[in-house]
Amino acid sequence: MSDLSRLEIEALAKIMDELDYYRLLNVEKNVSSRDLKLAYYQNSRTYHPDANRNLDASTQESCHQISKAITEAYCVLRDPRKRQAYDAQLEADGGLRIQLAAARAAHARTESDRRMGTTPQGKQFLLKAEEDVRQDNVSGAIQNLQMALTFEPGNAGFKEMLEELRKKKS
Amino acid sequence: MAKLAIGIDLGTSNSCVSIMRDQKLEVLPNAFGEKTTASVVAFHEDGSITVGNAARANIIHDPAHTVSSAKRLIGRYHFSEEVRKAQAICSYEIAEGPNHGVRIHIRDEDFSLPEISAMVLREMKQIAEARLNEEVTKAVITVPAYFNDNQRQATKDAGQIAGLEVLRILNEPTAAALAYGFGKGLEQKVAIYDLGGGTFDISVLEIGQDVFEVLATCGDTFLGGDDFDDRILDLLADGFVAKEGINPRNDPFALEKLKVAAEAAKKTLSVEDEVEVRIPDVLVGEDGETRSLERTITSEEFGELVQDLVGRTFKVCDEALQQAGLTVRDLDGIILVGGPTRLPIIRDAVRNYFQREPQADVDPDEVVAMGAAIHAASLISAEQDAYLLDVTPLDLRIGVAGGLAEPIIERNTPVPIEQSRNFSPFQDFQESVKLKVYQGDSRQSEENELLGQFEFSGFTPGPRSETSIEVRFEINADGIVNVIARDPESGQQASTEITLSSGLSESEINKIMSRDRGADIRVSEPETVMVPGDLDAPSFEASASVAVVTETVGEVVEEEDEGGLELATRDDAADDLADIDDIDDIDEAELDALASEVVDLDDANDVDPNAMSVSDASGSADDTVPLDFDAVSAEEPPGPAIGKLKLKTVAMAPELPTAPGADKDPNSSFSADDAAAQEVKEDLFDRSDDVDLSGPDQEE
Repeated sequence: MSDLSRLEIEALAKIMDELDYYRLLNVEKNVSSRDLKLAYYQNSRTYHPDANRNLDASTQESCHQISKAITEAYCVLRDPRKRQAYDAQLEADGGLRIQLAAARAAHARTESDRRMGTTPQGKQFLLKAEEDVRQDNVSGAIQNLQMALTFEPGNAGFKEMLEELRKKKS
Repeated sequence: MAKLAIGIDLGTSNSCVSIMRDQKLEVLPNAFGEKTTASVVAFHEDGSITVGNAARANIIHDPAHTVSSAKRLIGRYHFSEEVRKAQAICSYEIAEGPNHGVRIHIRDEDFSLPEISAMVLREMKQIAEARLNEEVTKAVITVPAYFNDNQRQATKDAGQIAGLEVLRILNEPTAAALAYGFGKGLEQKVAIYDLGGGTFDISVLEIGQDVFEVLATCGDTFLGGDDFDDRILDLLADGFVAKEGINPRNDPFALEKLKVAAEAAKKTLSVEDEVEVRIPDVLVGEDGETRSLERTITSEEFGELVQDLVGRTFKVCDEALQQAGLTVRDLDGIILVGGPTRLPIIRDAVRNYFQREPQADVDPDEVVAMGAAIHAASLISAEQDAYLLDVTPLDLRIGVAGGLAEPIIERNTPVPIEQSRNFSPFQDFQESVKLKVYQGDSRQSEENELLGQFEFSGFTPGPRSETSIEVRFEINADGIVNVIARDPESGQQASTEITLSSGLSESEINKIMSRDRGADIRVSEPETVMVPGDLDAPSFEASASVAVVTETVGEVVEEEDEGGLELATRDDAADDLADIDDIDDIDEAELDALASEVVDLDDANDVDPNAMSVSDASGSADDTVPLDFDAVSAEEPPGPAIGKLKLKTVAMAPELPTAPGADKDPNSSFSADDAAAQEVKEDLFDRSDDVDLSGPDQEE
């Protein structure tokens, strides 16, 4: 095994903790799932424990650490929901690593926010709309959802529901 | 310095060994020319042991001392459902060992499961050495993808006991995919449908040139070819009960005959539309009259018998595809693995489900060993030719308050991976924290497999809000779990593998190796087919019997005139079987002729059966002075320095051997002393966890 790969491994092991998942895998922020996979494969060829079994013990250990970090990065970025939660964390300066379970939980919360509304008014009009639906008042529900959307124009959950109601009406 | 590394498919029913040399892949046949060898160990009255097809032939003579399907028990707790199920159908004695482990009780001796499996592995090693004329010390051993950590560890231990350096524990479906796609530069998505003797696994892989990425793997450890046999057995037994009013299941000899007949009938149904089962004199009634069993089974009838089992495999397939985010249309190939996939009903069902013809150029009995051999060769060569990116098959969980288990690493997460959690004690100023680590998919901790129990102490006790312990959970490339604890305040680190959960510490393995029952193993060569067995039941003593290896059918078929069984297809394939009426009629010369004929069928390497004959008895168990455990432990280096954080690994061993002092861990800093081990025993079902999940990942 060449010295170059040994040096490469040791160098990466040193700075690994300062890299976000994108930089660790050496991909752009907007990387497609296909390119992400190829990057994961490429990194695995370099850092897979099997690929470096002939190196000295300390380099092997570094390699093992890198390998685990790469797997973690791939696990988060390949899952759109976990990736969304991670991106949000990066934006909020909340750390470069995210635990898989935490990413899943964070996304579940976003999901439920999305459905329940994030503003008091949005939530209130959503409740009214849901009440209308129960009473088969489709037009009322549409009006209330439109109101909810004026408070939360970006709420995709509201939009979806509105779309469904419009279909139902026509 | 041995430069060879073999691949071993350690199967529930049969094992297979293969090697890749100079880019050439070969499956190594045993001395009989058979490419698979029965995973059966027979313990004879005189203390000798036979392994393989000869041992399998011994089952109907001496069921109590012949161990088959040990893989179903390896790495299990004695109270587990699988062990209970095995107890109902196994004729050998399954005993409880220390720490809820499983032992096989044979005469006066208890054997741990890794020891039994080691005997099979040693046989495979010797088969390879005989063919290669060289010592073999390195191997890749395969396990079902769905094996948990305890089972993987126990298999690894078995390899070590057999004198093998286990380069890698490899998942069977991954091995099969490697054998299928290696060196072909494929860009494909494939499914591996692996129906073995005792387990069903499905793996979905993406092959990208030299990278083999497992997208998802799912399985059912309670479903295998043995279950198909059981259905036939039930059909035969119920028919017999209806006709004769006697339940043959209550007679161990009759039961074994039924088992053999059922398995042989299943195999016949792989190639024929109909099988006629005849077991003359299956048992002797209370009236002293012998009874026979005859039954014709059509493949249609068989199909109905096992329809629900086949259906169950596709539920698991649904799950795997869903986890992989694929549909059957996305797949480029289906690879069948395991003997039962030769059954036309399975092939038809697979074709229907996947809407595609399964790969025909892959031998379902050999492909796994071949994949293991490819990987073994790759692991000892200078250049890496293939990269396996596997997943963990089960959720890794941690026990929390309320008898629940929180997932830390979900199933189908790629490995190697590490995740961490912070824990705070349940109470203020608590001095130690106990952790229970599980594998399984249930929120209820007791429905999962307990991997181990750890107690951390020595951190600075304080208010619980201010005390925190970071625990890292790592799954390595073998799928084996490590737990690493750290006191974030001091940064001191302690680590241990959960080896003790699956049973054998390094020194315990050494102890087993020093008692070395392996030396009592008779080398299986054609001569030893004529094992008279241990006929300790009077009802059977009258009938001499013989097992004959017939290359024409490629399997061992028992033909006996008294108390034996016959199997024939309608067009009477029995004519093809060697027909030996009485053991007395065969003289030595005939036997030799028979033996050499069998060997001659296989010209490979001119194996001389006599050249490999008989083991050296000098190292037998009774002569061996057991190691003085304490003396050994005193000389062993202490465990890693753990400073402030004291890590106590409490032995939860299902496989601890019974040797005196075995429940002491020689490694003092990880010590589980007698009292602790006892405490754990009592604690096993104690769900009053004193650990509470907290920390940023839970709250934020």
